[in-house]
Amino acid sequence: MNSLMYDTYTIFWRELKRYKKSRSGVLIRLIQPAIWIIVVGNIFSGTQPLIQSVGFDGEYIEFMAPGVIILTAIFTSIFGGVNTLWDRRYGFMNKALTSPISRSAIALGKMSAISLIAAMQASLILGIALAIGVNFPNPIMIAPIMAIVILFSLGFSGISVMVAATAKSQETFWGMINFLGMPLFMLSPALFPLELLPNWLAVIAKLNPVTYTVLLVRELMTGVSEGGIPILLSLGILFAFVLVMIGLASYVFTREVNKPF
Amino acid sequence: MYSIETKSLTKSFGDVIAVNDISFSVNSGEIFGFLGPNGAGKSTTMMILTTLLKPTSGQALISEFDVVGNAKKVREKIGYVQQETTVDEYLTGRENLLLQAKLNHIPKNEINSRIDEVLELIELSDKQNDSVVTYSGGMRKRLDIAGGLLHRPKVLFLDEPTVGLDIQTRRKIWEYIKKIHKEFDMTIFLSTHYMEEADNLCDRIGIIDGGKIQVIDSPENMKNAMGNEVISIIMDDAHNRDSFLSQLKTIEFVKNINEDSTKLTLFVSNGTQVIPKIFQISSELKIKINTISLTRPTLDDVFLSYTGHEIRDDNSNFNRKREHAKMKRLRS
Repeated sequence: MNSLMYDTYTIFWRELKRYKKSRSGVLIRLIQPAIWIIVVGNIFSGTQPLIQSVGFDGEYIEFMAPGVIILTAIFTSIFGGVNTLWDRRYGFMNKALTSPISRSAIALGKMSAISLIAAMQASLILGIALAIGVNFPNPIMIAPIMAIVILFSLGFSGISVMVAATAKSQETFWGMINFLGMPLFMLSPALFPLELLPNWLAVIAKLNPVTYTVLLVRELMTGVSEGGIPILLSLGILFAFVLVMIGLASYVFTREVNKPF
Repeated sequence: MYSIETKSLTKSFGDVIAVNDISFSVNSGEIFGFLGPNGAGKSTTMMILTTLLKPTSGQALISEFDVVGNAKKVREKIGYVQQETTVDEYLTGRENLLLQAKLNHIPKNEINSRIDEVLELIELSDKQNDSVVTYSGGMRKRLDIAGGLLHRPKVLFLDEPTVGLDIQTRRKIWEYIKKIHKEFDMTIFLSTHYMEEADNLCDRIGIIDGGKIQVIDSPENMKNAMGNEVISIIMDDAHNRDSFLSQLKTIEFVKNINEDSTKLTLFVSNGTQVIPKIFQISSELKIKINTISLTRPTLDDVFLSYTGHEIRDDNSNFNRKREHAKMKRLRS
């Protein structure tokens, strides 16, 4: 256990070092969520009555800001595993695989680094949201919000690491990731309240861990709870999701990297 | 105790048998080389020995630990320097070694002194805090090799350690390998398709071709077994070649002949007496000889005599494949 932690930290350290040296990417990756919050947030500002009908009395942009924070977390973490493919092609993976560290540690180290990076990106988006006038009555809530984003990204990066370990090429990876990322985002209350979804879509949305994460962050940011889902249930589902993803990603990753690339 | 031992090791990918029933052992402290063209099975064997691939059948042991059943133990014993340079470009030289030290569980209080020691050895101390992006190919390779021996493995695997490097850098790398071997007294297993490299570095060489080991011996013994000298003949054309060949075989001192259309290679023990006889036979048969040369045998000749073809034939094919792979990488 001790050595698993040490090894996980080794990989985590390496991933963060690499991230730090490629800083230009930070800004580029912020463009898309910034467009979402600025453009979409204003385009849909006329939908305020709809939002109010489910008990949310702020502006639309305030309603969707938590959704965009999660959008940032989703895409940063689901893209984050792509360097696994580079690692396999350029030999770092073989180097790690012939050293005494465990395969799970490689997956977990990558996942924890990705989740921290996702949280940093998400906090920048939160900053943008505040800068364009989104109301955030209780700034102390930033700590639990970031904890939730880190937790959620940890689970979500598991998807990325699994897909990257299974895919043999960039094309397969991006194909799979695009297939997964957008629907998981859209099928959540990130942009619209659950109550306004048609029944069948609401059922699907309730199977989506993104849904509970958005509800949690929205409640912490705006104080409005939504859809009658208690905060503890959301938290429980989020924790369960993360635990399952950690187990599943370690298993799939170990199985896949033991196959010849 | 053997450092490496394989028993009937076989690996197939579908219908292709990459490694075919290979058995050999490497003594502790030895530099052992696998010599063969690409596709011969060198890298596949090395990947099995380093626990990256599981054999289809047979067994391989590193320091008496089974590479399948005891993979974790094996990984503690080995260092592996891959054919491609694998250092992280974004990190500095020192950070790369730090990463390698952590991956190999070097005790915390020893990490810094070990890194200083190998940096000294490969003469990169003054560049250690520069990003690897600024390093030349040879420097990257040196750093890679340093990473492989940081944890003082019992067995160091070097897969084509000088491929793609210019001749001066190659010689420099050879010096480092010899220095490492002397300093740390580790077993070194390397693969190469450069004759000169195998000749220069290895105590013993296994010639591998088509997934099979053709011969294992020291470079000297191999060359001596060829006869003392090699006579190469290039004929104007191939007419009367067969009768020429059969008569050449009857000359005393001729041990073996290799033929390749108008080029003949004779392995002989007393060359200066053979040459006049060759001219005698050729004038009787009205064969025009363009060039004739008498040389000491090289490993090239050894390779030719065991595999029936020259290693360079396959290299050109190898280069094409590499080129193809490179293009594929660039496209993706």
